[in-house]
Parts: sequence; C-alpha cells; structure tokens
Amino acid sequence: MVSYIKSNKMNHKSIHKDLIFYLDNELSVERKTVVEKHLEECADCRSILAFLQEEMQVIGKEKNPEVSPFFYTRLSAKLDKKPDSQAQSQWVRLAQPAFFSLLLVIGIYGGLKLGSNASSLKVNQPATNSVQMLNDFADEPIESFLLDEL
Amino acid sequence: MDEAQLIKGIQQGDRKSFQILVESYQRMVVNTCLAIVHNKADAEDLAQDVFLEIFRTAENFRGDAKISTWLYRIATNRSLNLIRNNKRKRFFQSIEETFTGGRNRNSEISENSGDQPDRNITDQQRSDLLHRAIDRLPEKQRIAFTLNKYEELPYQQIAEIMEISLASVESLIHRAKRNLQEQLLDCYKKKCV
Repeated sequence: MVSYIKSNKMNHKSIHKDLIFYLDNELSVERKTVVEKHLEECADCRSILAFLQEEMQVIGKEKNPEVSPFFYTRLSAKLDKKPDSQAQSQWVRLAQPAFFSLLLVIGIYGGLKLGSNASSLKVNQPATNSVQMLNDFADEPIESFLLDEL
Repeated sequence: MDEAQLIKGIQQGDRKSFQILVESYQRMVVNTCLAIVHNKADAEDLAQDVFLEIFRTAENFRGDAKISTWLYRIATNRSLNLIRNNKRKRFFQSIEETFTGGRNRNSEISENSGDQPDRNITDQQRSDLLHRAIDRLPEKQRIAFTLNKYEELPYQQIAEIMEISLASVESLIHRAKRNLQEQLLDCYKKKCV
C-alpha cells in the first residue's frame, strides 16, 4: 500500500515536470501519451495544468501593445535636445563620485589630524592646569573683578 | 526603401529615413522592452533611447546583421540595465526606509498599481505572478525566454542576437521553462493567487 502511494506520488512529480513542455507541444509522442493518460485519471494534475495554461496565456494578452501615437514626435524632440543634457549628465556622473570621494578623504584626514593633536595635548599638558585656572576664580570673586573693570 | 538604403540615409543624418525606421520597428522594440521591464511607460522610454542610440551610432553599423538583430540587442541590454539600476535604487530606498520608518513605501506601491487600472484583480494578480517568476530567472534565460515567447523568434535568430550557439539557446529556454514552472507550481501549492 505504502509503495503504491509512493510510486503514485513519484508519478505526479514526473508529470508536473513535463506540463509546461506538454503545453508547448514539445514532448515526444510516447511521453505525450503517458502525460495525457495520467491527466485523464488525475484531477489534481488537470487543475495544475489549467493553472499553468492560464499563467502562460498572460503572455499572449500582453504581447504587442499599442504604441503611443506621439512616439516619433517625442523621439524627434529628444533627438534635438539630447546631446547637451547627455554631455552634462556624463560630466555629473564623473564629477559626483570624485567630489564625494574627495570629501571623504578630507574628512578622514581631518579626523586623523584632530585625533593626533588631542593625543599630543594629553601628553604635554597636565590636567592640573585647567583645575588651577578654575581655582583662580575661587581666589578672586567675580564682584571684585567687575569693580576693577569700572 | 530597403534596409541598406535606410541605414545609409540614417548614417548621413537623414531624418526621413530615421522616421521610416522608427515607424517600422517601434512596436517590436517596445514589445521587447515591455517583456523585460513589465511597465509600458518605462518600455516606451527605453525604446526611445534605443532609437536615439541607433541614430547616433549608425556609422558603426557594418551591415553584416539585420537591423532587427541590432535593435533587439540594444533593447535587451538597455532593459537589463534599467532593471539593474532599479534594483540598486530599491536597495538604497530600503536602507532609507529603515531610517525613515517606511514612509516612502506607500507612494511607490500606489504608483505601480496605477499602471493598468482597467484590469480586474485576478488578471492583475496572474500577470504579477508571471512577471515575478520571469524576473527571478537568470538574465540569459530571461532574455532567451522573452524573445522566444513575446517576440516569437526562432532559436536561430535568438542565437544571433545573444551571440551564442543554437545549442546554448535551446538549453537556456529549456531551463527557463523548467525554472518558471517550478516557481509557478510552488505558488500554486501555497495558493498565492
């Protein structure tokens, strides 16, 4: 029983593989007969075939669309205009990445420079200097500082 | 006027010859682009770019291939380029959306769904499903399949357009159909339509 179900499943699979070629009439005579015989007995495979057929019919519906009646008029206008804009767009296409690359390099260089300055400051200047400056304010009250200004 | 005369006229900058060429091939070029990009406005814009390229580079045309082969080649290349650019744009948009909280997504969806307002929802879903399946095919399979199905070109002409062997075209189309079928069956099983 199990082997029957298994072989039946395999049979379905092998039929599914050939359905698109069956629709296009590309199977050998023997294979076509096998597929047709199976389709007569199997409703599931018939349903799949119908689904595939409907999908492939979409191509027929989309084929050869009506082209706009102003196609040549638009093309002719483009033909008169295009060279300037194309030359400009080519220039822009080259200049834009070059500009952004330059900006990136400047940014990286600037970042490195700032980083190295900050690290050298740390080494040369002890942190106590800034503390001392703040302490000077404590020694001289702001009121007396303003009075001296007057 | 035969093809050689048309090309000679275009090479000399004759607009009348160019107009004849455009009117003879515009439907074919738009159809090819539409099969790849699935949007009529984009397909017409692409087709215009194809003809502009033809006008500007006509002197390079050696005449060893048919005009249609030349047109198909440019049309497929330009369509693939547009898809690649759109993918890139979508990638950056998705990054932007992660920062803006997806505010831009609604406008994009409404633009796409407004493309063919007169079709009922089942038709629209069906064609969306097929387009998605075609878009997932590798580029070469997609080109070979669309030229064969939408333009009904014989394998030999597809081989000339893609500059590959006849056996390669057969293999590409076979694999494209198999992949397409797999995706459609997967969707059928998941009941996505």
